[in-house]
Amino acid sequence: MAERMMSDRITAPTIDAVERCVRFAAAQAREAGFSLARVREIELVVEEVVANICRYSYGDRSGSVELSCERLDDASLTLEFIDYGRPFDILALPAPDLAVDLDQRDLGGVGVPMFRALVDHATYRREDLRNILRVIVHAAPRLRSDPTAR
Amino acid sequence: MECKVRTLANVVLIEVEGRIDHGTAPAFGSALLPHIEGCTGETKKLLLDLAAVNYMSSAGLRVLMIAAKGCRKQSGKMVLAALQPTIKEIFKIGRFDMVLETFATVREGLAAISPTAVALYDKG
Repeated sequence: MAERMMSDRITAPTIDAVERCVRFAAAQAREAGFSLARVREIELVVEEVVANICRYSYGDRSGSVELSCERLDDASLTLEFIDYGRPFDILALPAPDLAVDLDQRDLGGVGVPMFRALVDHATYRREDLRNILRVIVHAAPRLRSDPTAR
Repeated sequence: MECKVRTLANVVLIEVEGRIDHGTAPAFGSALLPHIEGCTGETKKLLLDLAAVNYMSSAGLRVLMIAAKGCRKQSGKMVLAALQPTIKEIFKIGRFDMVLETFATVREGLAAISPTAVALYDKG
């Protein structure tokens, strides 16, 4: 609830950053009139980005994640993720080896292709010891969904 | 996230409901773990009914992967059924549709892994 009152920006400590950033972005997307299907996709994007920031940028040390949300027009939102950890560019991570044999399949790495599939545009820059990831999401869902889903 | 468990002959049917995300994935893993134990050959098989799962992030996929690997290690079988369209798409992105066996309905899944269990299921 508190983050809604902070209008379009939230700063969350890493301990509960994933949950709080997801809630915040979902509220923003709903407010912008996005469909439930697209809100869920945006929740996935935010979860994957923030979980990766906590794991790789902060290396499981404590820190904070800032997320701001700006409505560009009726059909798109910009999400900007800022953290103060070590340089970490989710866009530069190599594509994981999604081997089709269960025994050879690595447990991690799925979050990144998921992120790429769900966003419309993304840029990264390192500035003043901060990682800044800017993501644009359009209102149209990227995945096929069930319109009657709840 | 909630898991309801039913046993139909040699199949443990786990009906999963809700969100499987960063926060609930550990509880999901803990709920699956006791059922993976003893899942081997024809003795015991697992079927996860995902009809009521409306959100699954990579944290949830990771739990499924660990469970499937655990079953495979002891020559057991774990299959999934009734994935919502969005979850199905997420599986495709991560190529999980190639490593985990999925069925359109619970009945189809049961029919594929246990004739006795599907007969019980049909009786209601």
